Amino acid sequence: MNKLLGLIILTCAILVIQPAAAAEIRVAAAASLSDALRALDAAYRERHPQMQLVPNLAASGTLARQIVAGAPADLFISADRQWMDHLVTEKRIVPGTVRVLAQNSLVFLGRSDQTVRSLADLPGLQRIALCSPGSSPAGRYTEQALKKAGLYPVLQQNKRLVLAKDVLQARMYAERGEVDGAFVFRTDALLAKQARILFEVPADLHEPVLYPVGLTPEGARRAEVQEFFKFLASPEAGRILAGFGFMLP
Amino acid sequence: MFDLTATDYQAVALSVRVALTATLLSLPGGFLAGALLSFGRFRGRALLEGLLNLPLVLPPVVVGYLLLLLLGSNGLLGGLLAKTGLRIVFTWWAAVAASLVVGFPLLVRAVRIGLEEIDPRLLQAARTLGASRRDTLISIVLPLSGRALLAGAGLMFARSLGEFGATIVLAGNIPGLTQTIPLAIFDYINTPGGEGRAMTLCLLSVALSLAALLGNEALLGKWAKRSRS
Repeated sequence: MNKLLGLIILTCAILVIQPAAAAEIRVAAAASLSDALRALDAAYRERHPQMQLVPNLAASGTLARQIVAGAPADLFISADRQWMDHLVTEKRIVPGTVRVLAQNSLVFLGRSDQTVRSLADLPGLQRIALCSPGSSPAGRYTEQALKKAGLYPVLQQNKRLVLAKDVLQARMYAERGEVDGAFVFRTDALLAKQARILFEVPADLHEPVLYPVGLTPEGARRAEVQEFFKFLASPEAGRILAGFGFMLP
Repeated sequence: MFDLTATDYQAVALSVRVALTATLLSLPGGFLAGALLSFGRFRGRALLEGLLNLPLVLPPVVVGYLLLLLLGSNGLLGGLLAKTGLRIVFTWWAAVAASLVVGFPLLVRAVRIGLEEIDPRLLQAARTLGASRRDTLISIVLPLSGRALLAGAGLMFARSLGEFGATIVLAGNIPGLTQTIPLAIFDYINTPGGEGRAMTLCLLSVALSLAALLGNEALLGKWAKRSRS
């Protein structure tokens, strides 16, 4: 009996006690930044070995809702202006700290045997994947572009549009050939293996794809977070982001 | 509060239609699988049981992805279907397929428990009195396990109403076509200012699922009373 009790207590202790960590910087970041963020973390840790980046990667909207609900975060990187503004109004991001970290663009990704060259060729396709315009920034930009090009009503009426949960799912559909092509961010398209960029969506058809970054009130109070925030604006961080296909503001 | 759009109503109707279709389609197979597991004595029974129960414990996203590999246009089964002009992926049948696979174990489990509760002496008596296998099935097994079948079907229907993970991968999230209630809620939650709509649909979802479960219980209660009298 005593042995069992001991075991239970030990198990609970293991579950509850976490090893004393180095100073943590909690970054809530849009999922499309995951690879870039890993590289930034590695570069930053070379100079500050005691610092540890704790990333929380999800759709910008999910993260914003978590932060409003009180999830711990020092830094928020959104794939969308709207969600950053939302957090500023909710007083969960310090207004003065918000600036643009990187820029992205929208491309059409498809299998190599596709002969599509521009938006004008889209009505000839059977199935086109885009992210859900309601919940995903990439989807919102795509909808803007298709509407401005006058294609959205036609494609929708003919049931050509397949709405994916996020960019990764849209890319997966394109790579597996389930759709003729998919609208995704350039940075995500560059990582595709069985599909290639068929054309770039003209930037004047949609709002610029900006990644704003800002500090939460908790983060703004910590010197080590401020330090990392400065690093993000450095030329070195810029080179890393550019290496993943992001453009710098 | 209750300002539902046309696509929201479509989502509700689609959810019910998908859950109902998936449940009805799986009734014969569910009964067969339950019977095989409770009466069958064959090699690999445990393995079959494990495989049938797998969707219950696998992450639904995994189920959805495996189904996409199978039913997609380059998939094993999807390729064959495509030749006959049938397409499952990104249609409402994809939502049915997802619900069918994820809810099936619940049905089989209930059927199996029901069948195992039948007194084997009743079956032996029927056989000694000269009833054929088919006769025994219709006059003994089915009436005695009907309650379990109903319970399983109810559970599966309720589970299908809430299917999300497998559906969104296999069917996409297309308003009016494959967007069921959970998918619509997901969209609203991730839309700035969508809280109100999301809450309305959440409440509707709770009410619908509760109604399904309570309705099922009521039917079961009625059945029990009838078979006692």
